[in-house]
Amino acid sequence: MSNAQIEIQLIASLVAIACAIPGTFLVLRKMAMISDAISHSILPGIVVGFFITHDLGSPILILLATLAGVVTVVLVEYIQKTGLVKEDTAIGLVFPALFSIGVILIKKNADDIHLDVDAVLLGELAYAPFDRLLVSGVDLGPKSLWIVGAILMITIILLFAFFKELKLSTFDKGLAASLGFSPVIIHYGLMTVSSITTVGAFDAVGAILVVALMIAPAATAYLLTTDLKKMLFLSIVFGVFSAISGYWFAHWLDASIAGSITTMLGVLFLLVYLFAPNKGVIAVLYREKQQRTEVSLLTFLLHLKNHDEERERHVNHLNEHINWQKVRSKTVLELALKNNMIIIDNNIVSLTSKGDEFTTQAIDYIITNEDAQIEDMKDDFFLFRG
Amino acid sequence: MSDKIAVQVDDLTVAYNYKPVLWDIDLEIPEGVLMAIVGPNGAGKSTLIKSILGILKPIAGSVSIYGKSYDKQRSLVAYVPQKGSVDWDFPTTALDVVMMGTYGSLGWIKRPRQKQKKAALEALEKVGMLPFKNRQISQLSGGQQQRIFLARALVQDASIYFMDEPFQGVDATTEIAIINILKELRKAGKTVIVVHHDLQTVPEYFDWVTFLNVKKIATGPVKDIFNDDNLTKTYGINYKVSIQE
Ligand SMILES: Nc1ncnc2c1ncn2[C@@H]1O[C@H](COP(=O)(O)OP(=O)(O)OP(=O)(O)O)[C@@H](O)[C@H]1O
Ligand SMILES: [Mg+2]
Repeated sequence: MSNAQIEIQLIASLVAIACAIPGTFLVLRKMAMISDAISHSILPGIVVGFFITHDLGSPILILLATLAGVVTVVLVEYIQKTGLVKEDTAIGLVFPALFSIGVILIKKNADDIHLDVDAVLLGELAYAPFDRLLVSGVDLGPKSLWIVGAILMITIILLFAFFKELKLSTFDKGLAASLGFSPVIIHYGLMTVSSITTVGAFDAVGAILVVALMIAPAATAYLLTTDLKKMLFLSIVFGVFSAISGYWFAHWLDASIAGSITTMLGVLFLLVYLFAPNKGVIAVLYREKQQRTEVSLLTFLLHLKNHDEERERHVNHLNEHINWQKVRSKTVLELALKNNMIIIDNNIVSLTSKGDEFTTQAIDYIITNEDAQIEDMKDDFFLFRG
Repeated sequence: MSDKIAVQVDDLTVAYNYKPVLWDIDLEIPEGVLMAIVGPNGAGKSTLIKSILGILKPIAGSVSIYGKSYDKQRSLVAYVPQKGSVDWDFPTTALDVVMMGTYGSLGWIKRPRQKQKKAALEALEKVGMLPFKNRQISQLSGGQQQRIFLARALVQDASIYFMDEPFQGVDATTEIAIINILKELRKAGKTVIVVHHDLQTVPEYFDWVTFLNVKKIATGPVKDIFNDDNLTKTYGINYKVSIQE
């Protein structure tokens, strides 16, 4: 790997971490859309900053653009407070307005400034290593690496200092307020961090990738864990993984790095969405099937308990009387046999003592409306699940 | 009950988007009562509690807790919000939610330690939820979630407890368990204020009651003011309670 390649991956990874942290809280606060809004409406701040400084990495520009981001949030909330429109509508009103002001400013002054809308939206990671930070002639590395690194440091310090406050006000705003942790301050703190991160990262990776890096890793992690700290950790891992694998994917295809990283984020989300052990689509479908079979099994066992007549307990009766498809009866019978709940003698089915005990307990729970207990009971009785 | 005033509300008016939902409320809650706030849906019960706790800003009037502003007396007050007000899918455990009750005494930046964890475990024990301490909160039943909220308030070790519908969606066993804890709090000299919907149980559970419907209709001892007249004024329909002894 060349130096430039290492630097690009380093910048992309740091951006990924700096985005995943505020992104996790945005996702939990159901505010994913606001990051999209911020990423677009910082444009006028960037343009005005660029007029003044002629330097995309200058602190004044970062300050102005961050301000534009926070103004977006304030405006969205103001419009929402009028009660006339919902939050997503308010977002949809504010950011195109601010963004278009930025576009007009650029077009009007196209002769004077070397800034174009595409560059802001898409960025170009491949060029990041060429813009170096030189201090009295000494090369200290790419400028974006320093900017993103500084922002990441601030984000991490704030996260460690205010983790408890962020968690509380995200989970229960009312309690936070009543305990004296102003949710308004925490909210604007988070919004400011999100804006600074977006601004600091856009030059290197572009506004669209910033949004993707904020939302996708957190949304993916959310499917996998029920612990906030793990969710943060997983978001960071997914972000960095997508950044690096995306870089190599782009290298291999000779395509846009930002585009490839976004693709990786999408692929990762899709995989987790399908295969996550608890909330994934496949797991949910599998559980439903298992539930269906087990409910049928219980119905069948209750039937056996209620009927002594041989005619009611004949194997064929299952198809005819309980009205089940052949396949279903076969599955249910096999499951009951495997779990030693029944014995079949001459095509006549009877409960074993274990099956009898299970059924008796289950009836008790059903009568007392404690169906939920049956699930725990299954763990005790079942050797094999449906 | 002593003759000290725990909570005093003067001329309180609260509005959402400039539309008042509470008009000119005056209210004195004596120390050591177990008080029900009753009124129809949308009467402003939750709004009243939220404005006493400084969660909402009133457009007029003032609130004091033991004679001082709420900001100064925060540590004396615990709050159980209405259950629907939080996201139960939030990635956190029962124990962690109860620990949140200790955050107020910790203040900004400081983190909970062993002492806070111990207090949280004791509170969980008290509400019978210790076996569920590591459960993710969405995997608890409605009644269990309510108990977690109660434990979180207990851990605040306050003098005044505000609870918004703690009996919402709980079964009879849980309801009795909760009311017993509330009665214990009162015995310990605490003031407990509960938004309550089941009018039948008011005389059995509470010794003080406030009728609210946008305005304050009446407030006082249950035995003196819990009658058809006040119920009719509050609920609008001609109300006949059959108060069972
Ligand atoms: N965030 C809000 N924005 C606008 N109006 C609101 C808001 N919250 C409550 N309201 C209105 O204020 C009034 C009082 O609401 P509040 O929640 O205090 O009623 P409540 O007595 O607690 O009712 P419930 O028994 O249903 O809990 C209602 O008319 C409600 O529609
Ligand atoms: Mg309410």
